[in-house]
Order: sequence, then C-alpha cells, then structure tokens
Amino acid sequence: MKRLTLDARRIDWLVTLALALAAVSWLLAVEGKQGFGRDEGQYFRAGERYWGWFEELAGNLGHGEIKRSFTAPVIDRYWSDNAPDHPVIMKTLYGLSWRAFHRCTCMGAARGLHPIPVKGRHVTLPLFARESTAFRFPAILFAALLVGMVYRFARGWLARAPAAAAAVLTLAQPHYFFHAQISCFDAPITTMAFAVGFAYWKSLRSSRWGIVAGVLFGVALGVKHNAWLMPIFLVGHYLWMRRGDVRARRIPRPPLSFVAMLVLGPIIFFAHWPWLWASPVARTRAYINRHVQHEHYNFEYLGLNWNNPPTTTARKLIRSTAPFVETGFTVPVTTLALAAVGAVVLARRRRGEPVAPAGPGEGPAADGAKPSWLRPGEDVDRAPGAFLLVQTLGPLAVLAVPSTPIFGGVKHFMTAMPYLAVVAAIGLARLIPVLAGLLPAARTRLRRVAPAALAALVCLPAVVETRRSHPDGLSHYNLLAGGFAGGASLGMNRQFWGYAQLPLLDIINRDEPANRAMYWHDVIHDAVSMYKRDGRLAMSVGNTGFGEEALRRSQLGILFYEKHWAIYEGWFWDSYHTTKPLLVREREGVPLVTMYRREQP
Amino acid sequence: MEAPPRLTTRAGLAALAAVSLLALVEATSAIVAPHRAPTDADWRAAAHEIRSGFRPGDLIVAAPAWADSILRVHLGDLIPVEVAGRLDDERFARVWEVSQRGARATAARRGAVAEERRFGALTVRRVERPAAAVTYDFVARWTDARVSRRGAGGVVVECPFAGDRIQCPDINFNFVRRQIVEVDTRLRLALLAQPVGQATIVIEYPAARLGRGLVVATGLHNVWMRKEAAGKVDLRVVVDGVADATFTTGNDDGWALHQIDTSARAGQVAAVRFEITSPAPYARHFALAAEARE
Repeated sequence: MKRLTLDARRIDWLVTLALALAAVSWLLAVEGKQGFGRDEGQYFRAGERYWGWFEELAGNLGHGEIKRSFTAPVIDRYWSDNAPDHPVIMKTLYGLSWRAFHRCTCMGAARGLHPIPVKGRHVTLPLFARESTAFRFPAILFAALLVGMVYRFARGWLARAPAAAAAVLTLAQPHYFFHAQISCFDAPITTMAFAVGFAYWKSLRSSRWGIVAGVLFGVALGVKHNAWLMPIFLVGHYLWMRRGDVRARRIPRPPLSFVAMLVLGPIIFFAHWPWLWASPVARTRAYINRHVQHEHYNFEYLGLNWNNPPTTTARKLIRSTAPFVETGFTVPVTTLALAAVGAVVLARRRRGEPVAPAGPGEGPAADGAKPSWLRPGEDVDRAPGAFLLVQTLGPLAVLAVPSTPIFGGVKHFMTAMPYLAVVAAIGLARLIPVLAGLLPAARTRLRRVAPAALAALVCLPAVVETRRSHPDGLSHYNLLAGGFAGGASLGMNRQFWGYAQLPLLDIINRDEPANRAMYWHDVIHDAVSMYKRDGRLAMSVGNTGFGEEALRRSQLGILFYEKHWAIYEGWFWDSYHTTKPLLVREREGVPLVTMYRREQP
Repeated sequence: MEAPPRLTTRAGLAALAAVSLLALVEATSAIVAPHRAPTDADWRAAAHEIRSGFRPGDLIVAAPAWADSILRVHLGDLIPVEVAGRLDDERFARVWEVSQRGARATAARRGAVAEERRFGALTVRRVERPAAAVTYDFVARWTDARVSRRGAGGVVVECPFAGDRIQCPDINFNFVRRQIVEVDTRLRLALLAQPVGQATIVIEYPAARLGRGLVVATGLHNVWMRKEAAGKVDLRVVVDGVADATFTTGNDDGWALHQIDTSARAGQVAAVRFEITSPAPYARHFALAAEARE
C-alpha cells in the first residue's frame, strides 16, 4: 500500500481547509443568537424573490417558453426588488442557498409570509433547522473563503504559524465577526477585496492571474459598490512599485490585470444583474447616483450625532478621525500592537529583502528580467509594504473625507481588516525568532513549538474578545475603549439596523394579548416575518408599523438605543403615560433595547 | 552570519515582552470585565435603598447617564415626565445618584454627600444642597399664556386654546403647546412653538411672579428637523420694566441656558413676553422653557 506523504504544499492546503472549516463551524455555531437587522431582512426578501425568477425560468423552460423569462416585465417583477440599491450576486446566492438547504415547513402557518407564492412543499437538502440559517450560509462560506485566502496570501511571505495567525486575526475581530454571519454584503465584499488584491499581487509575476484579477473584480462589482475603490488602491501601489519608470520619465505600462479589470469588470457586472438589461445606461446611472448621492443616516461618534456633512472646521477635523479612532477602538488591541510591529518591519525592510526572517526574497524574480505588461513585477521588488499600506489605509482614508457618510461605522472600511491582520502577522513573524533566541539551543522540542505557542498567545485575546462580543458585535469596543461600557461612555455608536431584539422574542411571545399590537421600532417587517418563519415568534404577534402613529397604536413596544432615537422614547412617555420601561435588554450594563408596556387604565 | 544590531535585539525583546503581556492582560480583561457590570440584584437593592429614603421633589439620576433607562426600570415611578424632562438640576435640593464604574453625574456635582452606600457594582449617593426656589414655572403654567401672531404690517392675530394647544388661525403648524421635546438627543418638557415667516409669535404671561433671576432654556426639537434645515431662531425676552434680551438658537446649540437678572423686581408680579422670529423658519421646531427663581 502506498503511503500518503504530506509535502509542504499538501500541508498548506490542509491547514487552509482546516482554518476555513473552523471558521464555518464557529460562525454556524453562533449565528442563531444574532438577530436580523433592517438590511438583512430586505436581503432575505430580495433573495427569495430572485429565486422566484429562477423558479419561473424552470417552468418556462418546461413549456418551451424560455424567452418569457427574459422579457422586461418578468425580469422587473423579480429583480427590481432592492434595486437600484445593490447588485445581486450575494442576494442571489442567499436565495439559492435558502431554496436548497432550508427545512421546509412552507405549507404551514407561515406560508403567507413568503414574498413569492409557495406552490407546494419544497424538496430540499435540509441542512439547517432555520430558514434564516440557509439564507446566511453563503455569507458564512465567503468568510471562510477569506480566512483561507489570508492564510494562503500570508504564507507567501511567512511561516505557517504566523500565516495561520493572520487568518485567525482576520476572523477574530468583533465587528467583522458580526458581519461575517449575516446575509449582507459587508463581509462578502471584504472577501472580494482581498481576492482581487491577492490576484493582482500574483498577477505581478504571473500573467494568468491578471485575467483572474479581472474576473474577480467583475464579481466584486456584483457584490457591493466598495469595489469601485479597489482599482484606485491598486494603481497607487503599481505606480509606487514601478516608480523607477517614472523616475526614468517612462510611462509605466498598464498591466494585464488592470486591462482585464477594465474589460471584464463591466461585462461581468452588466451580465450578472438582469435588472440592468432593460435599460443599461439609465439604470446603471441610477445605481451609481444612489451611492454617490447617498443620504447621511444618523450615527453616533464621540458623543455627537452625525447626520449631515460637517460644516465647521472643528467638526470636519473630528469627523475625519472617525475611521482611525473606530479602528483603534474596535480591533483587538493585541492585533493592533502586532500590526504596529509589522508596520515597523515593513518600513525598515530594504528593497529585495524578504518580508519576514528566512522568508522568500521580494526582489526581481530573475536576473536580467525585462519589464512586461504581462508580468510587471518580474523585474522589480514588488513593494509589499506599499501594497499593504494602500490596502489597509486606503479604505480608511476614503472614509476620513468629512463629506462621506459614516453611518456604517467599521463596515464601511472593513476591507482593510484582513490586510491589517496580515501586517499583524508580519509583526508576529518578527517576534518569533526573538522568542526562539531566548530558548536554550538544546531544547529543540520547545524551540519547535515556540512559534505556534506565540501565535496562539497573540490570537487568544482576539478570540476571547470576539466571543465576548457576540451577539452584540456592533456595541463592542476593545480594551483601549473599555469594552461595552467604555464605548458607551465615549459616545461611540452602540448599534444600528435594529437587530438586538432577538433575546426579547420569548418575552414578547408570552405577553398576550398586548403583543397583538406590538410596536417593533427599527425591526423591519421582513425581519419580523422571518422570525415567524423560523418559529421563533408566535404567528399572532402583531406589528403596528413604523413611526409615531404606529407607536401610539401599540400596547407593547421596543426602542433601540441609538442617539437619534431619543425622540421615540419621548413618544413612549407621552403615549404610554410613563417613563418606566418594562425592561431593558443590556450588555454588561449598557442598554441596547428598551421595552415599554402600556398600562391598562 | 552577521549578528543583529544590539539595539534591534533589545527592541525585539521589548516588543515581544510588551505584546505577550498585552495579550495576557487583554484576554484576562475580556474574561473578567463582564462580571464587573451591575447585576439586577444590585439594581434592586439600590432601588430599595432609594425608595426607603425618597421624598417628593427629590431627583434620581444615573451615572454614567447612559444607564438612565435601567434606572427607570427600577425607579421610573419616582421619575415623572416633569422631572425626567427638567429644565436643569438647580431646583432639586436632594439628588440620589446611582453610580457605576466610578462615574459621577453632573446633577450631583454641587452639594455635599449626605449618604453613600455600595450595592455590588453600584454606589448610591444622596447629595444635599441649597436648591433654587422657583417662583414661576412658565412651562407648567403655560395655560396662563396669551399667544398671538404679529404680522409684518403690524397686524396682530390672537390665538385661542384648542384642545391640547394654543392654535393660531390659518396656519396649521402655528401653535404653542407643552410637550416632551427632543433637543440635542435629550428629552425635555418644554413649550413648542414653530416660527412663522415674516411674523412674530408672541407668548405673553401677563402676571408672572419674579424672583432674582429668570432662567430661559432654548433649543431646536426633533432630530429630523435639525437634519432638514439650518435656519436660526431668535427669541426676544421682555420682562416688563427690567429686561429686554434676545437669544439666537441654531442646530448645534443644544439646550442652551440663558440667565436674565430680574433682581430689581424680585418678589413682584410682572408681564413677561417671549417673541419668536426666524429669518429661515422652515422646519424649525423651537422649544422653550423658563423659570423665574429666587
């Protein structure tokens, strides 16, 4: 019998797989405790509606009328949901995953809660007990993909232990972890930003990766509009890497990756979104304008409520610090400290030197290599420090412009976080030989496990903090800020999207008949429906709607703590004739959701 | 092989020690910190303590202020809207402060600590101090007011009572009423009066008993309206024979307190007039509260 040998390549693939599986397991184990936010509720609905188009397509195919599915009215009936807000790759995946993996109770009481008619019992592979988990599964897979990619990328410079630490530190960030398990786009676009960056990096010395970069960029455009920014950061790095050309007054040749992104990106973007097909120019313009002219939602930062671009110099200065302060207060502090070490290592690195001790050199790939648009990094140092710098600080710098909205907090520049984790791992790689130097030469076993032990030690706080933060990752702040309470005292944003109500559902279920006139505040109707479909909310629980009049019609109501929602609490006091809430859902003493109950006269 | 520079080695050792120590501290903190939060039992015990010593007119506050809603779960029946939405803290001679994590409430800064007890992670303090005596509360006595709208040509339109408000004719939003307002994301009990273009809204109290000073608070109600517009609102305060002052309020001014010296007519009854105008009145939900104090 042939003995299976594990060479270095196989071991790396096994580690990649193990890390990705661990990520999926962790996220699937905990996602059920995290409630549904406003946006996620909409994407549940849109994803299922998009599935409806495929369902109709199959029917039309059976009747030989396939063209019907491609007529404008049929396309718009399904694909105009959540348009022009967001492209549809992730929502389509969410819908397909739901259709494939949910456990169907669709013919029961919740049948009427679906956005498309349920014609019969769905035949599925029932992997998940809750429908919402089936929707979320693709996002979780994207997070796992990112974890695996970070390991592969870091492994290009680093030994296994620090490369694995990079992967762990990517996932073990409370705010990223929050987004990684929900069917939204912020974690998936983080994956795609890394994928595009990774492919671009490899394309510097491999022409086929140039094509891959173009394809991935097209997919990224179909995930979220953050993709528009990716080429800017890459061009910045490219010009720096080829600064020799600029000094010699030669225009650097556009590399294959950029050409592929320019050509394939728009083609894939247009091809993936049926809603665009009927009127490509007008609808693409509507999509772009939706985001270029996006409203400034309310967001708390340093005790102030921001809902417009600042107009005074002082406010502009405060506002411009937001992405940096938010990063400083949300990423685990040990990760930040390692990233600082890594930044020093990269800054001190000389051209051609390896990124980490004993790692591969980064100089020209071969002596006498000539510049080529197919492999533009062949004849030069690829400037890894500059690459990581633009990928990390680029997204933060964009959000530091005072006129950009900041309502999403960390999620708006989360694409920087995997690269930050890689920089942290470079810092770790620098410390490993220092530790090894402290150990006696004779203790070989100890010296062998030292890298893994140190990697585990620096990952420990990130993992523990992330576990602590769940399921309220948006409310969590790090050791520097002082945790949940410190974040509240500093006036940092406590939450958004109205997702923190999940632990209150049992109380609401029991409070009959008041719950028939339930005021849900920021919980969107689609989220309420999904709780019912999941069997977590009684079908009899009502929903009086949104706004002041809906609150005044209610008998029982909740209020999410966000600074700008104070006015709603005033309506509760006035309408319910009391300032005394029934209860408050809190984390470590910090209020998240307040529940009021109208006293009977 | 060349030995690494000594400085680099030292820096590496320092970095290794610092990162390792930080990792241990951060991990320990993440495990321990959740247990430092006050428990429900702490709150119940603190509430019991306060109830046993509470007197009508006392103020109860949380420190930090973000714990206020939890405080009201336990003691909300002792915090009516008039107290929760107070103009300021000066009229309260006794303040109960429920504090955690070493925080202190602004409302309890002035005065002496008469009592202090710990209940788990909470500390209850009773602070006593001389309080401002209110001779006339313009919000509580809003039904004493006569409201009119003075047009650009000097035409005066009287505004009658209509249910929960004093409603001026012809313009739906032109009314004055007492309500809970949200100014700078905090709730207050105040008079709401929207300014009208090319006109002055006049709120006149014909017989207010004056003290040594008049405290006027102004602000712009409703976060959505503050987002929508940026016009400023002018408030002219005329105290018969004593004062004539104008205060301007904008979006960023929050709940602004203004002091007017009325000591020349302290103890007397006088007419007090509030005149509200705005050069850009769109979406300006002006809120006003005032107290005459000894």
